[in-house]
Amino acid sequence: MEEFFQQLTNGLAVGAIYALIALGYTMVYGVLKLINFAHGELFTIGSYLGLTLLTSLGLSDVFGPVLAILLLAAMVMGLVAVVGALLERTAYRPLRESPRLSAVVSALGASIFFQNAVMLIYGARLRVYPLGILPRTAVNLFGIYLPLVKLLILFASVAIMTALYLYIHKTRIGTAIRAAAIDQGAARLMGIDVDRVILIVFLIGPALGGAAGLMVGLLYGQINFTMGWVYGLKAFTAAILGGIGNIPGAMVGGILLGVIEAMGAAYISIAWKDAIAFVVLILILIVRPTGLLGERVAEKV
Amino acid sequence: MRDHSKIIYSTMTVLLAMSPLFLNKYWVDVLNNVGLYAILGLSLNIIVGHAGLFNLGHAAFYAVGAYTAAIFNTRFNIPVLWLLPLCALSAGLFAAIVMRPIIHLRGDYLCIVTIGLGEIVRIALINDIFGITQGANGIFGIDRPSIFGISIRRPHEFFYLIWGFVAVSVFFFHRLENSRFGRALNYLREDEVAAEGSGINVAHYKLACFVIGAAWAGMVGDIFASKMTIISPESFSFWESVLLFTLILLGGSASIPGVILGAFLIVGLPEVFRGIANARMLIFGGAMIAMMIFRTEGILPSRPRRYVLPDESSGESRA
Amino acid sequence: MRKILFFTAAFCLIAATTFGASTIKIGLMAPLTGPWASEGQDMKQIVELLAGELNEHGGLLGKKVEVISADDGGDPKTAALAAQKLVTQDVVGAIGTYGSSITEASQNIYDESKVIQIANGSTAVRLTAKGLKYFFRTSPRDDEQGRVGVQALEKFGYKNVAILHDNTTYAKGLAEEARALLEKKNVNIVFYDALTPGERDYTAILTKMKSARPDGVFFTGYYPECGLLLRQKKEMNWNVPFLGGDANNNPDLIKIAGTDAAEGFYFLSPPVPQDLPSREASDFLKAYKKKYGTTPGSIWAVLSGDGFRVLTAAIKATGSTDSDKVADYLHNKLKNYPGLTGTISFDDKGDRVGEVYRVYRVNAKGEFILQP
Repeated sequence: MEEFFQQLTNGLAVGAIYALIALGYTMVYGVLKLINFAHGELFTIGSYLGLTLLTSLGLSDVFGPVLAILLLAAMVMGLVAVVGALLERTAYRPLRESPRLSAVVSALGASIFFQNAVMLIYGARLRVYPLGILPRTAVNLFGIYLPLVKLLILFASVAIMTALYLYIHKTRIGTAIRAAAIDQGAARLMGIDVDRVILIVFLIGPALGGAAGLMVGLLYGQINFTMGWVYGLKAFTAAILGGIGNIPGAMVGGILLGVIEAMGAAYISIAWKDAIAFVVLILILIVRPTGLLGERVAEKV
Repeated sequence: MRDHSKIIYSTMTVLLAMSPLFLNKYWVDVLNNVGLYAILGLSLNIIVGHAGLFNLGHAAFYAVGAYTAAIFNTRFNIPVLWLLPLCALSAGLFAAIVMRPIIHLRGDYLCIVTIGLGEIVRIALINDIFGITQGANGIFGIDRPSIFGISIRRPHEFFYLIWGFVAVSVFFFHRLENSRFGRALNYLREDEVAAEGSGINVAHYKLACFVIGAAWAGMVGDIFASKMTIISPESFSFWESVLLFTLILLGGSASIPGVILGAFLIVGLPEVFRGIANARMLIFGGAMIAMMIFRTEGILPSRPRRYVLPDESSGESRA
Repeated sequence: MRKILFFTAAFCLIAATTFGASTIKIGLMAPLTGPWASEGQDMKQIVELLAGELNEHGGLLGKKVEVISADDGGDPKTAALAAQKLVTQDVVGAIGTYGSSITEASQNIYDESKVIQIANGSTAVRLTAKGLKYFFRTSPRDDEQGRVGVQALEKFGYKNVAILHDNTTYAKGLAEEARALLEKKNVNIVFYDALTPGERDYTAILTKMKSARPDGVFFTGYYPECGLLLRQKKEMNWNVPFLGGDANNNPDLIKIAGTDAAEGFYFLSPPVPQDLPSREASDFLKAYKKKYGTTPGSIWAVLSGDGFRVLTAAIKATGSTDSDKVADYLHNKLKNYPGLTGTISFDDKGDRVGEVYRVYRVNAKGEFILQP
């Protein structure tokens, strides 16, 4: 039983990061109906920027670790959001009226471009976050070991997701985003500036991805230029699992995917872990063709 | 206009057929890779281009064909070219079985499911499923193909085998897209509900096009296996499926010349850019974005169907 | 048709020989891009350094040596193309490459064109079991490593051992080798599974492994994953000893794990140049440091340097670039050649002769210490 709960917490920690990245996919999809395949690379950029800022600015000497990390997170999120907005401007906006598959190829191109840009700037070797920014102690909860860092990250991602949920559901801009997701034309007629909504979505989504990148760097230490591909695919799976376009769906999907992976590894086979996750996904989609929380509307083209 | 393009195409064909005479082994082998990608592209084109279905897991079907060839050749010593029908059958059957329950999924849901299938197949191959795929090592010692007792070994010999197969594929897919079947696929791509309303059994047609595409990819798998003599799971990664998908949309979806051009671009460009070594994939990614912005429909998009009406006045109709 | 083919072939041949007369071309097939790019870049630097030195001392048979490198991308298909490319440029021999399955995809191409191939990081047993006349390797084989690994585990006195690999050709081969040997010695294998390389979170695997209660863990995969395993194991407060395979011999391991988590980690490796007493090794290190400012990242790249050295030595000794003569020399006459990684001789299969593997331990400062 102890092992079960340990595995559950392992899965939750992995899932929380998937969920953060999945939010970026799902928000963009909701408004533009575009799978932003470059989103995983924005995540990578976040973790590399975090490393650069961390090692070059020496924030923790001036402000102490807690404030330094918060400041760092704010800077990384801001910078990645700018990259995201630029990406939208150059690679997606010209294709807004084009067939959807063309935009997908553009997204794949952007993914390759960013991945190699990171490689050229930082080198092909893996990079490592300096140790000792955050205390390396573990909390013992009834026999379950939880590193403090992991606990903090779990807490931070839940906080970010709650904030986003409130933002989307309680503010005017949030309402506009939801309206544009349902019907862009009608939203425009209602006086919503859809271009602005899209811009906001491309600021928030990448910022969350960047935050996830920073978290992975702080938590696991090791980063490399190809990791966005792996995380991106997982997060995309999570977004679909929850029902793409649906924000709570992405959160649920991400956490569920993390838990499925941990449980699959623990009780079936480690080597088959990813295959198990995909089999579960396919089974869920057979029963619920639009994901767990996806709306079941017939898509009329 | 049409005559013009006919001249261009026939000159290109002749030039291509002669190319082994003046190219060295290396470039001929590059052309062989282009040929393999062209056939794979054509087989995927029926799914992505004509039916408009989002398939990012085509490498799975290709892998099933390649492994069928490898297993039967190394265990039972059946010559690889005789295995072509069997590879087509196994890949087609595999597609029919796995796609059956999920064929009704829409757009992006189908996309992730095909990605998932590709990954499941790859992981299964790595984990030596049923003890026949030999895990990450892959299967080695596959025979080279032979025609009438002549063994095909060198790139120049493979060139004629592969490009002969390209010619057969072009013929087959050209006939297919102009058939009743091809028109039905186009219809369901443009408007699924209307197609259903006009009496097209949408699920049936979607499944059929997956089976045909998969079977054709399975045959390419056979040739690939015999060319490499060793196959391993890493040759059938998600990246491979992404390349195939990209080449179709770069060249021109639902257009045979477009797909072949796409194969040249996707294999050729990185080779040409080898001079700039590290930045070559960066440029490649940038080029993908630029091409989509400036040629949204691909470089050689498919033309609307033209039909000459019986009463001499020519008319156009869009499928 | 045949005539035309014949004439073009003949023309190419003549063109190539007149062209290639001024230099001796040696190919280097290395993963210059892709997942193992850092290894490949090191290989290129080392071989180019050695070629430069050789040319400064008058070259080979009165000619300059030219290194032609081709990128195999760490992928079998690209490797086949790279091999084709080198063969077309009439190299006398090719050095490389790193991964076993990558090397395998190129073996036939070299063999059919009678080009000598000397692999540097390909340890899978079967590569030399095919009876290819022109294939050699300066790296040891997996079965030898398995034997040394099992010896070490025995010496540590573990009764219950967990084996973890990563499903790559190399790691799985080593894991299977070790499992078979351990089972013969009545050691319990309490855990045997594979992780997925390239991920970040291995806590699920560690938790599962921990519940199997092993006395020691043998991880046969590569250093990026091993560093994470060590780090996450420490964070879980689990103090089981780890033994790693030779792909862990990389300074980045310590950076990932942190010195406190890496301390006490054992791994197998051919001795690194720093630990070799020979003059060749120390001269090479000095020259490398002078030119590139660092020490080579891993032993595998250095082994490509040895490949280059034995190949050029054989050409020098036979006074010929004829593949048959050179291969014959390497098989039969080259004995105890002073290499960068110890003495080198080849057996009739092309394998390197002799015990190469040693056990290393990471000390409290994160340094790799050769164990007696």
